[in-house]
Amino acid sequence: MKKPASIMLVVARMLVVALMLVGIAGKASAAETKMVGVITQIEISGKDAKVATATLKDNKTGEAVVITVQDDLTLDKFKDHRIVEGDEIRCKYEAKDGKNVSTYFRKTAGC
Amino acid sequence: MRRSALVGSMLFALLQATSARAEHPGKSEIEKSGYAGPSTCERCHPGKAKEFLGTVHWKHASRVDNVEHLDPKAEYGMKNRIYTMCNGNDVVNDLKETPKNAAGKSKFTGCNTCHPGNHLSDVGSTGPEAEAAVDCLVCHSTDYDFRQRKPHLDDRGRVVMGQDRSTKAALSIGKPTVKNCMTCHEAAGGGVLVKRGFAFNKDTDAHAAKGMVCVDCHAAKNHKMPTGYDPNNWANDGVRLSCAGCHGEKPHKLAAYNDHTARIACQTCHIPRTGGAVAKDFTVWERGADGYYEPTTLKKEANETAPVYAWYDKTVRNEPHFIGPHGSRKDGKSKLYPFKIYMGKAFYDRKTGQLLSMDFAPPMATGDTRAGVESAARTLGMKNPAQVAKDAVPGWQTIYFGSDHLVTRSKALNCINCHGVNGVLDFKALGYSHAEARKLTNPEIYFKQLVQQQKEEW
Ligand code: HEC
Ligand code: HEC
Ligand code: HEC
Ligand code: HEC
Ligand code: HEC
Ligand code: HEC
Ligand code: HEC
Repeated sequence: MKKPASIMLVVARMLVVALMLVGIAGKASAAETKMVGVITQIEISGKDAKVATATLKDNKTGEAVVITVQDDLTLDKFKDHRIVEGDEIRCKYEAKDGKNVSTYFRKTAGC
Repeated sequence: MRRSALVGSMLFALLQATSARAEHPGKSEIEKSGYAGPSTCERCHPGKAKEFLGTVHWKHASRVDNVEHLDPKAEYGMKNRIYTMCNGNDVVNDLKETPKNAAGKSKFTGCNTCHPGNHLSDVGSTGPEAEAAVDCLVCHSTDYDFRQRKPHLDDRGRVVMGQDRSTKAALSIGKPTVKNCMTCHEAAGGGVLVKRGFAFNKDTDAHAAKGMVCVDCHAAKNHKMPTGYDPNNWANDGVRLSCAGCHGEKPHKLAAYNDHTARIACQTCHIPRTGGAVAKDFTVWERGADGYYEPTTLKKEANETAPVYAWYDKTVRNEPHFIGPHGSRKDGKSKLYPFKIYMGKAFYDRKTGQLLSMDFAPPMATGDTRAGVESAARTLGMKNPAQVAKDAVPGWQTIYFGSDHLVTRSKALNCINCHGVNGVLDFKALGYSHAEARKLTNPEIYFKQLVQQQKEEW
């Protein structure tokens, strides 16, 4: 019985593919978190710092989340105080090695 | 070599510029005497402050000669325009403290926070006091402390826009950097990259990748800032820039691309994406976590949206529900341009059908948008402001924004992007006959060219 076997194989392959897709999608949404919150604290050491942390109070849950910031543009905005404590931020981050590493960090307000 | 002499010499200058920024010759003098505002600069650069007061960046207005339904003798700009990216302007939405919100708190709001004055000397002011109020350092210092650039009340209860006037900031003077310009241009329209949606960095723009900065192209002389013909950028200093101004009309090695530049703007092929706010509703504001209200806004990232293509002769259709390009295939002067489409909902006058403007202070505190319309109508001296606000009718306005940054070479549109059967151009809507459209989407158009390219690539 050749046919059913090959159909089985196809079905099995499709299942594997489907599972992989679910896996990828599931992983992506689990790894990246979006939030809007107000900065309660910024910690950065000096002008040449390559990393900083900002504590955001999540608007929805009220919880404090510590975000690690590494991109130059945002670090620069901490250094010249374009972004300061009290600013509301739209943020995306990924959990990596026990840290919440920012992939997107922008003030919600403008002029 | 087809590269124009201009681009060549520009490139040479760029290579030089990549070595460290030259120290400002005035530095040691400023170190000794300290920085007391523009008068310090004027000792060596006489007349600069007065000169600046005559520019769009100070006046937020100028005469405009390419937009219909305007008075040729009057001046227009962010100072007084009524449209729906910002439903307020410097006049009706003058910097002020909001009424108290439900939590009993207030904050400062106003369009003229994007002005390099101190608010006491405001948009368009003149005279010695205004000259002394110019914030030279917001554009010229790389060591500006932005905590100082905040509105506050002075000892007489007046709303003042702060500036960093420290000697420290005045010791790092030079040509404006991208960051200096983005102080205002990034935050326009109510948030980061909301209005025009262009980020300027090596990942998003081919010129930034080559180390170019805003003023390499927007090379201001006597503080007159060159601009182009974005249908929604009306105020101008009378100086224009264009892609062809540096590259010429025939910048390509491939003749097939040069053959298109007479009818198709450079931007159409080289700026295939746009971004920023897609739509905003000024009639309904949403309450934020801080207890203040903001207009409801649908935002997209830089590069996240596809542009709309239209013929443009550089004159602007200006109607209550539409701001955008005039032009047609047949007029002999229009080219095809890409536009970022934006739609804004706001209140219209029931009697005249004209778009109304809004003072943001009342809705920011309470969410009452009609109170904002009433306040604006009062400021503008309209008859019976309360009635105007009560009768006002919500409606949508469509705006075509120019799309002039986010330049790419590697992702530029190629033959099939346009001449393929499902290409980005709707030839019929653009005025081509059925037969012409069929011809323009037949492989005959690009087959030889692309086969040749294929051979070269493999
Ligand atoms: C003691 C004299 C002196 C003072 C004070 C001074 N400058 Fe200069 N500045 C110069 C000289 C000299 C040059 C080089 C020649 C030129 O461009 O005029 C220069 C150049 C510049 C340039 C061009 C820099 C470039 O790289 O192209 C800018 C911009 C500038 N100055 C801004 C300022 C500002 C703003 C102030 C006030 C904070 C100021 N200067 C104060 C002497 C001075
Ligand atoms: C909105 C931004 C802005 C502000 C505010 C501003 N400038 Fe400039 N300034 C420029 C630009 C842009 C250039 C041209 C840079 C180039 O292309 O090299 C320039 C050039 C200069 C130059 C060198 C060229 C020249 O024209 O002599 C001087 C000096 C200067 N500015 C002084 C001042 C002073 C003094 C003030 C305050 C009264 C001031 N600027 C305020 C943007 C600004
Ligand atoms: C203090 C805020 C501020 C800064 C800093 C600033 N701009 Fe502007 N700019 C504005 C505003 C507001 C307008 C709109 C004026 C209008 O349409 O009435 C504008 C308009 C323009 C325009 C179109 C109109 C014109 O004048 O040509 C260009 C181009 C421009 N800016 C470029 C720049 C560049 C380049 C820099 C950096 C040297 C810069 N701006 C710095 C606020 C700013
Ligand atoms: C490679 C050159 C180049 C660079 C770099 C550049 N611009 Fe432009 N910009 C242009 C051209 C060209 C136009 C007008 C095109 C037209 O209308 O045909 C323009 C138009 C504008 C306008 C008018 C509105 C619009 O989008 O058409 C503003 C505002 C502006 N630029 C600001 C900036 C700022 C701020 C920067 C730096 C972050 C910058 N530009 C960097 C070339 C440049
Ligand atoms: C002030 C002059 C100037 C203006 C205005 C200007 N460019 Fe350029 N452009 C340059 C220079 C300089 C380079 C780098 C040349 C090189 O590397 O060979 C460049 C490079 C490019 C490249 C090649 C990038 C690459 O990765 O090789 C493209 C495409 C381009 N420009 C398109 C445009 C378009 C489209 C506009 C208008 C929106 C424009 N340019 C406006 C000066 C300018
Ligand atoms: C019909 C589409 C089209 C138009 C219109 C167009 N370009 Fe291009 N351009 C391209 C493409 C595609 C490339 C990339 C070619 C490659 O890398 O093989 C290119 C490449 C370039 C380059 C790099 C040099 C080269 O020959 O590869 C420059 C500079 C440039 N364009 C500038 C401009 C300017 C300035 C204009 C307006 C005068 C313009 N282009 C109009 C499609 C276009
Ligand atoms: C931005 C879209 C766009 C791209 C990219 C583009 N074209 Fe075109 N092309 C047009 C339009 C629009 C016309 C009609 C212009 C007119 O009305 O004269 C045209 C006209 C032509 C014509 C003349 C047709 C005729 O007989 O009237 C040829 C041939 C052609 N293109 C070939 C090419 C080739 C080859 C490429 C790639 C190297 C290319 N095009 C890339 C939009 C494009």
